[in-house]
Amino acid sequence: MFIHYVKGHQVLPRTSKHFRIYAQSKTKMQRDLGSFPLPPVIRVKLKDSGFSVVEDVIEMKPTELSREIGISKEESLEILKMVRESTSSSLPCQPKTPSNSASSSSQRQQQHPEGNKRTVTALEMLRYEKSSPAIVTFCEDLDEMLGGGVPLCKITELCGAPGVGKTQTCIQLAVDVQIPQCFGGVEGETIYIDTEGSFLPQRAADIAVAMVGHCRRIADTNDEEQQTALAEFSMEKLLSGIHCFRCHDYTELLALVNLLPEILDKHKKVKLIVIDSIAFHFRHDFDDFSLRTRLLNGLAQSLIKIASDYRLAVVLTNQMTTHIGNGPSHLIPALGESWGHACTIRIILFWKDNQRYANLYKSPNKQEMTVPYQITMDGLRSVPRLENEQASTSTSFRHDEPQDGNEDDHLNPCKRLRPSENQR
Amino acid sequence: MITDRRNYDAEMDDLELNPRILAACKKVNFASFSTILSLSSADLGRRTKLPANDVRTLLHTVSEKVYTNPSATALELYHGTCHQSLRVSCLRTGCEVLDGFLRGGILTPGITEIAGESAAGKTQLCMQLCLSVQRSTENGGLAGGAVYICTEDVFPSKRLHQLIQNFQKKLDATECRQLKLGDNIFIEHLSEIDQLVHCIQYRIPLLLKQSQVKLIVVDSVAALFRCEFSPGEAAKRAKRLQSLGAQLHRLSRLHHVPVICVNQVTANMSSGSLNPNQRQLIPALGLAWSNLIQTRLMLGRTAYKLSSGDAVCPPRPEDATQTQAGTDEVPVRSMEVVFAPHLPNDTCYFVVEAAGVRGLR
Repeated sequence: MFIHYVKGHQVLPRTSKHFRIYAQSKTKMQRDLGSFPLPPVIRVKLKDSGFSVVEDVIEMKPTELSREIGISKEESLEILKMVRESTSSSLPCQPKTPSNSASSSSQRQQQHPEGNKRTVTALEMLRYEKSSPAIVTFCEDLDEMLGGGVPLCKITELCGAPGVGKTQTCIQLAVDVQIPQCFGGVEGETIYIDTEGSFLPQRAADIAVAMVGHCRRIADTNDEEQQTALAEFSMEKLLSGIHCFRCHDYTELLALVNLLPEILDKHKKVKLIVIDSIAFHFRHDFDDFSLRTRLLNGLAQSLIKIASDYRLAVVLTNQMTTHIGNGPSHLIPALGESWGHACTIRIILFWKDNQRYANLYKSPNKQEMTVPYQITMDGLRSVPRLENEQASTSTSFRHDEPQDGNEDDHLNPCKRLRPSENQR
Repeated sequence: MITDRRNYDAEMDDLELNPRILAACKKVNFASFSTILSLSSADLGRRTKLPANDVRTLLHTVSEKVYTNPSATALELYHGTCHQSLRVSCLRTGCEVLDGFLRGGILTPGITEIAGESAAGKTQLCMQLCLSVQRSTENGGLAGGAVYICTEDVFPSKRLHQLIQNFQKKLDATECRQLKLGDNIFIEHLSEIDQLVHCIQYRIPLLLKQSQVKLIVVDSVAALFRCEFSPGEAAKRAKRLQSLGAQLHRLSRLHHVPVICVNQVTANMSSGSLNPNQRQLIPALGLAWSNLIQTRLMLGRTAYKLSSGDAVCPPRPEDATQTQAGTDEVPVRSMEVVFAPHLPNDTCYFVVEAAGVRGLR
């Protein structure tokens, strides 16, 4: 008896927590099945088999229900759909309140009133592109190279050897996309699809803390809008704006991309989708290369559609592979020639003389160029220009002390931390 | 991946779909969910002769069935309040200095590579991890045994015995009685790639299912792959490596265990973009393997020596040469992070003593 009691006692806190969650929807769960608009025959059958309230059927599969009460599967499916819709509307797992989501959807409508129209003129697109902000990278040179940052509505691919900073760049972007609008940011959220298991929350926290510190420094004390934005701007808020998903094989990745529209409807603020990396699951155990090409093309199509429908940026990472041709072997991005067409912008990251460089390999509107960058404890940063020659001697990815904001750094996150000359 | 036909049929029946759509799918006889997802919606429509609307519901329902992984925000990951399978933890090395250097220890789950020349201390570090993994989670272990796959050499069981005796001194009496350190390390000697693949595919999952094992060490991957392939078979070798790496990844994720792969080094012949420091020695097995691992640690020997007395505060490696040249001095070794998602490129120094690996401040 004593053991029994102790057991019950241990379980109690957990159940009480669950109880709290269900308590709100309890009335819904206890709703009489007779109150649903069902045909009388089915109502009688349900009653005869002992199903009286929503709770009794909600966990069942349609096959089970049809077998249990002797109706067709089609009918049981309809019953379940009806019952689930009635409960899901009030479940606490739905994060957005109706008023909230309505306002944000209307905001989205305002942003692009041409949403319903299929065709837009080039002029309209140009106007939209000019007005739409880009996601800053926190590396000034990289932003310059990309024309302001990673653009929305487009697919950007980062290629590079292991350890060159692909994942770091992705985490940096996932944090940067959340910069409030009054600071010139996008004020969105991120969906981070991790296929390699390389997303580490500690790293995201490092970068988020540095970002909050930076915004605090550049904030104008007289600007009320910025001050109110700062008040709720914290590492916790930044991290809770990154929604992480894991994929363990390519089938899961395909399934997840199919489900993305639904997820995006749930998280309306998402402005960036990161897939780190697209290559991993497509590079092993694939004997049928035509299938791989077909799947990748399908994936690219879905992503392009999502990017333009939801006005968000898609960032993919890709691995490098050794190309053995007639000449000397060199490194090229993996996944083959046809994948090269999939993304709008392709950036190749590489090491040279102890320094990380980014090369804009493909872009519709910017010319090819190569810029240096570094990865510090605080995230992606540009290499100080005056010390460019010395930069090769100091190992990057080293903790740089946060710099004091310069007087003219207000309002502009593009003007990033740059070590002043007296520093190291 | 559904291989069992009957099982798959049952799962197909459980889809919450209109029976009309299900019947159409059954007529076409799709082999698995992944076949359905691999087809474009236009192809699906052509094959099943379903209208576009139904195809969309079919794809959506199958996707929901296939993708059931939990998701979490980064904040939940950070605080560890997310689903068990998403949690990231660390396996401590058993030395505070090294743990500090590695920001907690070896990432769990994940594949960590320990590369280095011979006698750099790779096996010593691995053996120490085999012991520390057995401690309880409060003490930085994972409360489980280890599988040690030897491909290079005979497992140094005498040395392990010595380590166990020293390790027990560090534990308190109750913990010492509970842990049967030597009984929880499963050692396997393998000499062919096929044996290794078989072991990883069938035998280790069995051990993991009984959840006795919380660490997998492969010492070393390079030995097998470097001797079985001729220079002209690089593509074939890369393919085998990739599938092996994927297997290890899957094991690591599914069972939430760290995997440690020991790698050899090779002389750097080219000045490619892969290596940051134009180093003399680079890890073997090339880019195909580097793409598969999460963290790469490079061990090496330095020219410095340190007398192996149990000094409380060991001198820095620069000062180490000043100690008098005794008979029992040990070489100072270096550990360098080549790449890791959470660590900067940095180097720290350690020595190998009778009691195991000890980091130097």
